[in-house]
Amino acid sequence: MLTAVVIRSGEALRVHFVTSESDSGEHEMNPADCAFEPETYPPEGEAFTVEFCGTGPSPIIPEMKELAWGAGSFIVFALLMRFFLFPRLKKGMDSRYTSIREGHENADATRSSARSEVAQYEAALVAAKAEASKVIDAARATLEGERQTAITAANARIATEREAAMSAADAARTAGRSQVESAVVDVVNSAVEVATGKRPDGSAVSRAVAEAMSAGVR
Amino acid sequence: MIALEFPPINEILRWKDLFPTFNKIALIAVAAALIGTLIFLLAGSKDAKVAPKGIRNFAESIVEFIENGIIMQTMGREGLAWTPFLLSLFSFIYLCNVPGIIPFLQMPATARMALPLFLSLLVWVVFIVTGFKHQGLGYIKSSLFPPGVPKALYILVTPIEFISTFLVRPFSLTVRLFANMLAGHILLVTFGLLSEALFQAKGNPALIPVGVLPLFMLIFLTGFEVLVAFLQAYIFTILTAVYIGGAAHPEH
Repeated sequence: MLTAVVIRSGEALRVHFVTSESDSGEHEMNPADCAFEPETYPPEGEAFTVEFCGTGPSPIIPEMKELAWGAGSFIVFALLMRFFLFPRLKKGMDSRYTSIREGHENADATRSSARSEVAQYEAALVAAKAEASKVIDAARATLEGERQTAITAANARIATEREAAMSAADAARTAGRSQVESAVVDVVNSAVEVATGKRPDGSAVSRAVAEAMSAGVR
Repeated sequence: MIALEFPPINEILRWKDLFPTFNKIALIAVAAALIGTLIFLLAGSKDAKVAPKGIRNFAESIVEFIENGIIMQTMGREGLAWTPFLLSLFSFIYLCNVPGIIPFLQMPATARMALPLFLSLLVWVVFIVTGFKHQGLGYIKSSLFPPGVPKALYILVTPIEFISTFLVRPFSLTVRLFANMLAGHILLVTFGLLSEALFQAKGNPALIPVGVLPLFMLIFLTGFEVLVAFLQAYIFTILTAVYIGGAAHPEH
């Protein structure tokens, strides 16, 4: 049973409804306050207490309202997903993946083209190197021929000049020798004349000096 | 000594209707559908040509997870047509599981029998229809008379296959999801009540600091429930994919 408690403070009145206590000491309550539908009601004249509130059906048994709302929500969500949400998202994903794939393919094509250009460049480089090598070899051969010709000419000139120098030296040596020989003959004649008081035979002295000089001086 | 009064099971699982025929479970189911729709709606409205980030990245990650992590592993390339259904199933179950750890909601909608039962029955209908669509009446033969079994053994195998394929599958799908989420919810309630009882122990003040222990356990279990919420959604979805794939292509 509900009891109204009226509190007056100044001009204002406040009213509270409280459950009253039954004779047995239990709190009376309104059946509408039960969490679950009351399973039984107290006999006429007795107070309604919490014991009369229902405990509710088994928690394992599905409730129709939960089933209906859950099923409805899921079906709506699944239909939206099937016909609107997923296709929209997937379309965007596919277009991006396609553009990425095309980018990759373009990059691959550019890489292949760059590789073929590098290969062409390398082939041209090899040909140029071979050509340059040929030119260098030819130049080297020409240079070698010219060098040999110059060396031969120089050697011939040197030989000629050596022969002329040797002839001059021989002539000078012969002239020097005849001068030395005549000087030695004069000295020997003078020495013999001083020693013996007579002039020796000039031809014999000349022959003896010539023989002595021919024998060589060590 | 403290007395821990554990509430009746109905008290932790049921609420008065918010308005006639609409309770908290219905609210969570509707919210899950709305949030799922909103996520994919916002994701779809972002520019698809630039690298995805934020909500679009999140939504695309879920799609790729369903495609690569579930469909390609169980059904192969031809199963990709089932992506919207499996994506809806995974998102919806996860969004119904996760309120179990969200303050003020603190109740997974799948911890009640109705939603898991509906989803399992739906999957049951879908894989049977798929089986008949792809194999005709041969679906019955391939389901009940698996090839390679000696004929004499069909007396044993056929009833077992019938029970396991057509009766146990929806039952096991329902109970697995429902029981795991209910158990998690009861565990959270238990440790929450235990912490509260210990923190408010009047008879023995020495017990008050001990309340930290179940509180830590409660925090740990809350984190664990995040994993369970994901895992149960994943298990339900991958089993659905396996059942549909098996019905469409019995050789798998």
